[in-house]
Amino acid sequence: MIYYAGPLVLGFLLGFIIGSRIKFNAESGLKFTIGSYLVIIIAALVAAYLIGPYPYYKDAPLASGFLATIIGIFVGKILLGKDIKEADIKDKNSP
Amino acid sequence: MSTILKLFIFPAALIITCLGVNTILGGHITPGGGFQGGAIIAGAFIFGAVIYGLKDTPIKFSHDFMARMESAGALAYVFLGLAGLIFSGFFLYNLGVDIYGIVPIYIKNIFNYPDPINAGIIPYLNFVVGLKVLVGLSAVVIAFLGFKGQFNEDEGDIEEIE
Repeated sequence: MIYYAGPLVLGFLLGFIIGSRIKFNAESGLKFTIGSYLVIIIAALVAAYLIGPYPYYKDAPLASGFLATIIGIFVGKILLGKDIKEADIKDKNSP
Repeated sequence: MSTILKLFIFPAALIITCLGVNTILGGHITPGGGFQGGAIIAGAFIFGAVIYGLKDTPIKFSHDFMARMESAGALAYVFLGLAGLIFSGFFLYNLGVDIYGIVPIYIKNIFNYPDPINAGIIPYLNFVVGLKVLVGLSAVVIAFLGFKGQFNEDEGDIEEIE
């Protein structure tokens, strides 16, 4: 079976770029647990299966670019998307 | 905004982002492309910015980030065009496909996008256009949200920023 690297690499790259910009603000009160991220991954898997592969792609029954993107988003978030803590906000506001 | 919206929008924005990237990467083979996919991703960002507010939105596009992405997209487009000009004599020549057979095989292999239909540089052009569009449309909305409340309707003039 031939795996086409194009959508996997470029999808991961774009996902990584956007994932690295996901930063929660401590003051906002938003909190997403590991469970909610698991739900997002399952929803992405279902969506990728329903979208299906591009025409002429016979490597997998899933939208490979879609899946590579969600993986890239989470990798980017874990590696570069540090949350903004209250101490950082106080430091910035202090003269 | 309501709690339900606040719980729903961030996961939805991630899924919409994936759909946008899928649209960008399938631009040469399905309906869509760089502009459409970039607009979908910008839509995901705008979704979050409108619901959570510019300050609290989880997807944060800073000024530096947007400037870098916009520049990278434009430069990559020009680079692909100049590569065609240098190796074939035609600006934006599709080096990966090489329909006239005038490019060495190793250049053809470098610029060919690895997929079943031999699309050449078209997916790369879609990618860089997508980067530019997602950042450009997001910048417009960031500017609008940043100016919110600073327009004085009675005088019809923009108030001074404190």
